[in-house]
Amino acid sequence: MTLERIKPHFPWMTLVALVCVVGAANPAFLDPPGLLSLTTDIVPLFIMALGMTFAIYIGGIDLSAQQVANMVTVVATVYLSRFGLGVAAICVLAGFLVGAASGFVTTRLYVPSFVSTLAMGFVALSAAKFLSGQRALSMDVTERNASFGWMFDSTVGVPHQLAIAITLLAAAWFLQTRTRFGRALKAVGSGELAAVASGLNVNRVKILAFAISGAFAGIAGLLFSVKLSGGDAHLANGFLLLAIVAVLVGGTPLTGGVGGVINTAIGTLIVMVIRAAMIYLEIGATQQQMVFGIVLIVAIALTIDRSKLSGVVK
Amino acid sequence: MFALNKVDKRFPGVHALKAVDFEVGQGEIVGLVGENGAGKSTLMKIIYGAYQPDGGTITINGATMRFQTPRQAMNHGIGMVFQEQSLITNLTVMENIFLGFERQFVRFGIVDWKAMAKAACHQLAKVRLDIDPATVTSRLSFAQRQLVELAKVLTLEERIDDDLVILLDEPTSVLAKEEVELLFRLVRDLARRASFIFVSHRIDEVLELSDRIYVMKDGAVVDVVAGDEADVDDIQHKMVGRDIDKEYYREQKQAPYVGEEPLIRFEDVCVDGHYRDISFDLHRGEVLCLVGTEGSGREAILRTIFGLETPTSGAVTIRGKRVTRFTAMAGVAQGIGYVPRERKVEGIVNGMNVHENMTLSQLDRFSDLGVLRIADEREMARDWVERLAIKTPSVRKDCGGLSGGNQQKVVLAKWRSGGSDIILLDHPTRGLDIGAKEDVYEMVRDMNGAGIGIVLVADTLEEAIGLSHTIIVIKDGEFQKRFDGMPGAKPSPYDLVHHMI
Repeated sequence: MTLERIKPHFPWMTLVALVCVVGAANPAFLDPPGLLSLTTDIVPLFIMALGMTFAIYIGGIDLSAQQVANMVTVVATVYLSRFGLGVAAICVLAGFLVGAASGFVTTRLYVPSFVSTLAMGFVALSAAKFLSGQRALSMDVTERNASFGWMFDSTVGVPHQLAIAITLLAAAWFLQTRTRFGRALKAVGSGELAAVASGLNVNRVKILAFAISGAFAGIAGLLFSVKLSGGDAHLANGFLLLAIVAVLVGGTPLTGGVGGVINTAIGTLIVMVIRAAMIYLEIGATQQQMVFGIVLIVAIALTIDRSKLSGVVK
Repeated sequence: MFALNKVDKRFPGVHALKAVDFEVGQGEIVGLVGENGAGKSTLMKIIYGAYQPDGGTITINGATMRFQTPRQAMNHGIGMVFQEQSLITNLTVMENIFLGFERQFVRFGIVDWKAMAKAACHQLAKVRLDIDPATVTSRLSFAQRQLVELAKVLTLEERIDDDLVILLDEPTSVLAKEEVELLFRLVRDLARRASFIFVSHRIDEVLELSDRIYVMKDGAVVDVVAGDEADVDDIQHKMVGRDIDKEYYREQKQAPYVGEEPLIRFEDVCVDGHYRDISFDLHRGEVLCLVGTEGSGREAILRTIFGLETPTSGAVTIRGKRVTRFTAMAGVAQGIGYVPRERKVEGIVNGMNVHENMTLSQLDRFSDLGVLRIADEREMARDWVERLAIKTPSVRKDCGGLSGGNQQKVVLAKWRSGGSDIILLDHPTRGLDIGAKEDVYEMVRDMNGAGIGIVLVADTLEEAIGLSHTIIVIKDGEFQKRFDGMPGAKPSPYDLVHHMI
């Protein structure tokens, strides 16, 4: 009972504890400009995780996020010169459509989301390879700066990238807590059968959840592309695991229904601190995924609602 | 020999067992009766090791036991014959009988099927079932499967030295009269080798078979009577805790319905695999009760009205308009409210609070351009919490933490606040204590008064008769008979049972 009561507070307590430990071991970590730049660096990952939250909140998962981001880096690079800033809309739409397709396959063809999104991920990957001709493309720097240069500026000390992240978080939070869609999302995540029996259009809610996840992955891809001034089919590799870890350590369990976008913000910061700690401990890039793999398993084991699994895990 | 001493069990919001003492002697057949929700199932689950008691002890011949799993209970001679059968239908009879205990037939890593068949025949002989043990279980009749289940439990005899205690959970509910007699004769013979605990809501059968009868009510044993001294009316009285009188079902408040334009009209509606050629009308202010055994098709009819099943033929008309799209969404839009049997699964969303649950079916009424008006939701919810006397500290309280009766009221408030004038009640009082049941009956009458038409699948025959204006008896998916049930001219349970089985 007491554990159940503390459980929702685990994520931020973990974050505070981690910050204290890492800060004590390496006081330079707490240096504000350093922290700010660390936080800004993690923005694309955060946006991907933010989208992923919607898929996981309804009890599904989106394994296509990384490949959607990959595809979008290529799309952005290829079409930047033709559409300028308008390429952003194309990127979001591309992600939205891939996500909606996963949602359609999941709800209408009854393919579980971990398979449908995995498969759609390969479709996106293949599209990226086709569109890029399997080469690493780069943006024309003047064109990039003309359309997206503002992203690297900051206003009153707040980097614009961070401002984008905060705006998206606010929008996602509004969507989750204040709209019909958000309420329906919660109902589907917590009790899908009751949602059906209340006359909700459950399929539409689910398709939209996956589409939003895709759209956010698209925004993440666009940011990667602009930051690295180019695109290729492998640019975002390695981010899927981190995005899933961010959602789960934030306290949105795979069984869905609880947690949400604020939790994911905390989860992403936890990922950031763990990464910083690993650099401090001189854990090489090759070993980092190993650590996050283990963190993921621990996070799932701690957060999953076993009463919803009816004793069967396959 | 086997005894429970002051056994206590709590679930969130329910005190399921209150210091229950229970005892079975060697070779004794003990009956266990009580209404739905009286705690019979919980007690049984504790006996066969599926639940662990929160307090009290389990003793066998004086030695204290603690069963963590059904398998541990089995190793001490306690076997369970399940109501919803536990056989795996795509395995053969012998594989089922020795499921989990195949090792005795394994030679060098390979199963000796002949030895298993021989041993299975020995077990089947105990229950006088003459079938090939290599038969695939799905080919057996329901009664045959029940006997296989019993044979499976009887393998304990060879496996362990302790005395056996065998639980029979509602074994007769779907058996024909001759099959019941056969089963009873078998149990009496087997009582030489094992003790039995016989759980049923058919009091007459319990009386016929049992040496001693435990009567449960609201989680406590209210009486223990010897089989030869027991009297059906007396036990019924104790189960309910008072006379089931007209007051109980609010018959004095039952007003005749108005025979105008029907709310729902079913004309020769069929759903393959569930029911055939069902026709009826539901009017404003009417309670129409569908009566039949489990699996007779009554639930499927409710689900068709709501839109969760699509008819294969026939016409469903709601308020004069022929229904063409069968989805829950269309049903809700038509003003139909569904109070499902699985309250915690389909009724409320566990994890959402009271006002979120109440507005779930009417989000469009509480939002502008997709943005919710949460203050309005709370105000509406507070109003209904008061009107239905829902016991909750606040409308922000998680519905999963409310008691069963209050959850049921939240579900009803969801539909009533949305203006539904056709309400489908599927076992609305299942698992509720007496007070909460009466609340539900009171609400049924209120809704009638407000001109709402109700289709009911009741928990008991008495409830069906007490509440309804019209009763339709269904057997194996087919219409049997229609009864009118105005106060003073109600049919008796006997009249109905006659057409049900």
